[in-house]
Amino acid sequence: MESGFGATSEPLIETSGLRKVFGSFQALIDLNLRVMPGEIYGLLGPNGAGKTTTIKTILGLLEPTSGWIKVAGLDPTKDSVEVKSKIGYVAENPIVYDSLSPRDFFEFVASIRRINQETANNMITQLANAFEMSQYFDSPIATLSLGMKQKVALTASIVHQPPVLLLDEPLNGLDAKSSRIVKDLISFHAQKGGAILFSTHIMEVAEHVCTRIGIIDQGRVVAEGTLDQLRSKAEGVGRTLEEVFLKLTHEESEIADTTKILREAFFKNETG
Amino acid sequence: MRLAEAWRLSRIPYREVVYRSLAEEKGRMWWGAFGRNQPSKEGHNDHELTKRALRIAKFDKIIVSVFNVFVCLAPFAVPFLGATNFGVASSIALSLAVSFGLTTLYAIQTLSSFVSAESTILLSTLPIERNDFSLITLFSFVRSVDYIVFGSMLSQVAAVFLVTGMPAAALIMFFAAVMNELFAVTIALWFSRVFQKNLLRGGKSRGGTALRLAFIFMWGALLISVGFLFSIPWYIVPNLENIILGLGQISSLLLSLLYPFSTGILVASISYSSVALVAVVFSSIAMAGYALLAVLAGRWSLGTAKNISQGAGMKIARIAVKDFSVRIHAPLMGYVLKDLKVASRNPATAFFFALPVLETVIIALMISSLETLRATAVLVATTMGGIFALFIPLALLTAEGRGLEYTKTLPISTRRIIVSKTLVSTASYVPVPLALLLLSSAKPLTTPYTILIPFLMAVSVASASIFEIKLFLRDTTTGKIDAIVNDIGKLVVGVLTVIVPEVAYAAAFLLAFSHSLSVLVMGTVTFAELAVAVYLLNRS
Repeated sequence: MESGFGATSEPLIETSGLRKVFGSFQALIDLNLRVMPGEIYGLLGPNGAGKTTTIKTILGLLEPTSGWIKVAGLDPTKDSVEVKSKIGYVAENPIVYDSLSPRDFFEFVASIRRINQETANNMITQLANAFEMSQYFDSPIATLSLGMKQKVALTASIVHQPPVLLLDEPLNGLDAKSSRIVKDLISFHAQKGGAILFSTHIMEVAEHVCTRIGIIDQGRVVAEGTLDQLRSKAEGVGRTLEEVFLKLTHEESEIADTTKILREAFFKNETG
Repeated sequence: MRLAEAWRLSRIPYREVVYRSLAEEKGRMWWGAFGRNQPSKEGHNDHELTKRALRIAKFDKIIVSVFNVFVCLAPFAVPFLGATNFGVASSIALSLAVSFGLTTLYAIQTLSSFVSAESTILLSTLPIERNDFSLITLFSFVRSVDYIVFGSMLSQVAAVFLVTGMPAAALIMFFAAVMNELFAVTIALWFSRVFQKNLLRGGKSRGGTALRLAFIFMWGALLISVGFLFSIPWYIVPNLENIILGLGQISSLLLSLLYPFSTGILVASISYSSVALVAVVFSSIAMAGYALLAVLAGRWSLGTAKNISQGAGMKIARIAVKDFSVRIHAPLMGYVLKDLKVASRNPATAFFFALPVLETVIIALMISSLETLRATAVLVATTMGGIFALFIPLALLTAEGRGLEYTKTLPISTRRIIVSKTLVSTASYVPVPLALLLLSSAKPLTTPYTILIPFLMAVSVASASIFEIKLFLRDTTTGKIDAIVNDIGKLVVGVLTVIVPEVAYAAAFLLAFSHSLSVLVMGTVTFAELAVAVYLLNRS
């Protein structure tokens, strides 16, 4: 592994006893995470499990109800600006300034992040070429497709080459080629010594990209480890990650029931 | 499809338009969460916004309509307040001009969402005939301005009937009011289309930016004109009446050809026997011409609505670029430039940037008629300029919109954001002292200290901007009306900050009759305000 972000044996992302409560709803319960340099940590979970809340809390957008967080040794609740400078973030729904063009947007982001002119131009040019942004570079972001907006958000998240990447469903809306490029970028980032926290619904992506996977359900990490470790926890050697996931989140039997009901509803008119 | 059915269905795209225009306001709601670090309120506000969108829009429309009716009727009240002439011709002309301006301004606010064609996306996926779909789209368009349009038309017709007591006069007024509203809505639709087209064209064209700036200026001019017309009917009506009904005079003949004076003259000819025959003939011919123009305007609006419904809303230009270079600035400048770009591309906030320029023009015109540049005139002029500049921070905060969610993920402090917006609002005031400095070279000053007043005011504008933004960050509002009430509160604080140093100047002068001492007192108060503002800023 190259150590572009400075050799360290300390975790780049660490949470301990993290709890987040919204009114009477417990979004996160006693969450303990450690993501080491060079690690790609996949966060898997059903809708509403707490993946986005975890990422937003680590970024400092949400204040934890209790517990603590460290990002590159810093506390996001106390050193908010410093922590944000060490993170590249892609939201679940790419939200950016609609009336700006990608060029305007990158100028804004690179200026706020104090990126060197040459470094910024070099990175943006490479990424814009890779993501085939040529036709869209000066168009308002509002007019771009979901995939192109995602590419803009991804470019903005890595242009400053931060040690930590927080990616919430980063492959949303991307075509096969762009998905491959993003997976490669994530891999390069890890090789360089960065840490990536990656939330996804796509099991195949988690299976092939992540070095470690955490399965989160109802705000708790129910299982964590490499794919092999998760398989043994699910008592099923040879199972796919999807099967392991459904087993660990106790959704296997629910799916069978739901499918049966849907099948009956779908064919009701024909049989009737 | 029956008309009633089309009208019912038109509620769906209309709701979407309403929601989209309200979503633009979301920035102001998120600011509260950002400033107070209580992001859990975001979800609550999102939910509230969706639930209340239509109710707020309806309330909003009613408030604007009531105000519109009031300003449409105001010119007709002048004759009852001691005006020597009957005043029907000038009252009609003023009423039509003011309602035209207000309807245009209101329609522009909502139509920018309408013209983007995205409001009809949901319906376009359903099996509906193309003509029915066009009708639904047109009705959704009518829904966005219905109360305002019908309110002004009814009030104007009723006012003319009450003042003249003649059904024929009321009938002419009815046709004129319909034409007036058609012109207003068509211009708003055209303006919104051009603005959107210009935005969607993208690219780095300087021509496009210049065109957008020209529109912003035009919009601001319209706003100022409406305010100007509304504030002076008491003075203008009697004089205007004399001019437009001046027997046989060339000016009156020319005015009889010019809209909306032609309507006033035609209605007055029914009430007065003294109106020159040639003026009646001219105004009748002009009205026929304007009626033809109104028909064309209506057809264009219908065609445009149809195009929007059929997915031909906007053409998005894509120009392949090879140069991906960006210009990096210092973080503060980067934020300022982003603010300027975002706010100038949002039709709801863009026109605020025209205000300082227009204000400077008005100040220059006001002072150019004076022989000596007196301290009183400078105080009044700088206060006006300062107050107008205070709209800018609120416009910038509102324009942030959904993009603020992204900004929250960037390494930028709240303090820096406040400073960037303060810089923009203070810079927007700078033309005022410069114009006064220029005028002082052409006109004698009662005292040379006077010229320091507008520059001290710049410091006050900066302090007032900081206070406004700090208040904005402190409050979390839950709707448009709530936001307007909050904005008024912030503006009051801003206005007081601007006025207090001037009051200090006046008080010191009344006590000591010394301009130098008064400027010193004003300067002390101004810098005391700045000290408080900087203290609050450092606590951000």
